[in-house]
Amino acid sequence: MRLFWLTAAIAVAAHLPTRSALAAQDVAARLEGRAPATVVRAVQTIAQDAAARGLPVEPLIQKTLEGSAKGVPPERVVAAVRLLAARLDEARTALQGAGIATPGPEALEGGAYALSAGLSADQVRDLGRVSRPLYDPALTLHIAATLTALGVPAPRGVQLLRHMIQAGRTPNDLLDLPGEVQASMARGASAAEAVEALDIGDGGLGHQGHQGEEGREREHPHRP
Amino acid sequence: MKNAYHDLVKRLLDGELTLADLPPELRAEGEAALQLLGALDRTPVTLSPVLSSRVMGMVRERSRSRARRALRWLVTPREVRFRLRPWLVGPALAAAAVLVLLVARPQPPVPAPAGNIVFVRFMLHAPGAKSVAVAGTFNQWDQNAAPLIPAGTDGVWTTTLALPVGQHQYAFVVDGRRWVADPAAPGVDDGFGRRNSVVAVTRQGARTL
Amino acid sequence: MDSRDAATDGEIVRAVLAGDVERYAVLVERHRDRFARYAVRMLGSHDAAEDAVQDALVRAFDHLADCREPEKFAGWLFLILRNRCFAEHRRNEREARMPEEAAGSVAAPDRSDGPAERRERAGALQRAVLELTPEQREVLVLKHVEELPYEEIAQITGATVASLKMRMHRAYDRLRELMKEHV
Repeated sequence: MRLFWLTAAIAVAAHLPTRSALAAQDVAARLEGRAPATVVRAVQTIAQDAAARGLPVEPLIQKTLEGSAKGVPPERVVAAVRLLAARLDEARTALQGAGIATPGPEALEGGAYALSAGLSADQVRDLGRVSRPLYDPALTLHIAATLTALGVPAPRGVQLLRHMIQAGRTPNDLLDLPGEVQASMARGASAAEAVEALDIGDGGLGHQGHQGEEGREREHPHRP
Repeated sequence: MKNAYHDLVKRLLDGELTLADLPPELRAEGEAALQLLGALDRTPVTLSPVLSSRVMGMVRERSRSRARRALRWLVTPREVRFRLRPWLVGPALAAAAVLVLLVARPQPPVPAPAGNIVFVRFMLHAPGAKSVAVAGTFNQWDQNAAPLIPAGTDGVWTTTLALPVGQHQYAFVVDGRRWVADPAAPGVDDGFGRRNSVVAVTRQGARTL
Repeated sequence: MDSRDAATDGEIVRAVLAGDVERYAVLVERHRDRFARYAVRMLGSHDAAEDAVQDALVRAFDHLADCREPEKFAGWLFLILRNRCFAEHRRNEREARMPEEAAGSVAAPDRSDGPAERRERAGALQRAVLELTPEQREVLVLKHVEELPYEEIAQITGATVASLKMRMHRAYDRLRELMKEHV
């Protein structure tokens, strides 16, 4: 049995290119023929740097493929990829602040997505904290981003999600929220009014439990 | 940490020292630590015999499907319930009003074919279009990968894709040039001045975000 | 299929890449149980380990062309399996699922040392091992179950011996903490 492991150790050592090197290979392979050479080179550099910092490279590749497919000028594609890398980094810091030591790539993408929709790093962190362990932060961050895109002020959207999570609503219930807000707005309500109608408040927890962190949160006027 | 072992005990556990090497006052702690670690299950493991045939089954399947790499039409889901989304017509889309229906899977959830894959139907009302495709993170933004086909009723185009659980960005491509996000869903800025839509796929169904 | 195929791993990999898909079965037979104990101790259950090994073998086939040194197929397979085990942990964390484990009694521990108590202690220890971080769990499994020296573990994991020892020592303390009712 020992011999197997020794062989495995030798083999594995031979196969351990750095994350950066892998990233560069990946980028070249995936973008070949799909993006101009200048873009590929630039994105390789951005990806190598991101990989060295432990950030996922896949979203950067996807963004490059997207920009090239959409016929976007090369400099703009590179700028967007660079911005995305920065947002992934910011999202990681925010989620680590939420107590998630190594956020997975989906959570990081969700965080970057939320930041690009207008959530602040603090809001990303708060949502990360309130989501775990039962809710996937990737999911809740996407929902919060959508609510913001609909016109719901970011802190209000985060608060709505927090109340729903505390009340134990299923992930599918959370997924329905943007649609319900949209439906209200189609009937003439403002985004804020739509959220008021949906919100269940802190469920009567009063000053116990989760309210501790948000002591300065005002009481919901329509709490049941 | 309150329950920290003495450094020498840790080196004992590492195998660097023997019990005899420890000062007498640490021997009890050392013995207890060795006993704790001694309870680790070291029994060799043999996995189920059918594992080999399962692996080879999948290996054969994959080499078969690599051989016929034509565009596959996927099995359509059964009995779908239509969920009508609010219809927002923005000024930029006045030329061709589009309506997207996202189909939810029936309740109770039907077991997905490969555990993590859900069938999602995309539909676009685009009368006058000559071709419609959907491109997104699930197909590397390749507008040739997932064409829609006319569904018979006037101007409605459709396709069904097998998507893994998770959130995916996408947009429709009309006539190979015009990138159209789902107008009924807010989506976000794609970083290039346009909008992408997001479909959130769970095992119980899918929603556009 | 003759599982006593005398060809080396490298020869078989090349044959499979050239189109003889059925020969892959030889590699499967040779290596399927090699890392089984590692997978079981890392993931906490037989079922999860089987899924992981199965996935790893299939994935190794999918990416066989990427295996730069076909003679070292076993080591490459291990890398794939290891990534899979770590990914499984992230997925379990997300879904807040604890892997199943053979049910141990949760009654107050008896101070006697009969076989039932030993089994219960082993079960409690395995549950405690699953509470470690995956990196800590891995070094514990490789050092104390697979009985590898730190230098070899360093080669396998890409970490330095110093950082491995640090991880291991933290794991010792954490296990002591988690097992304190059983001491």
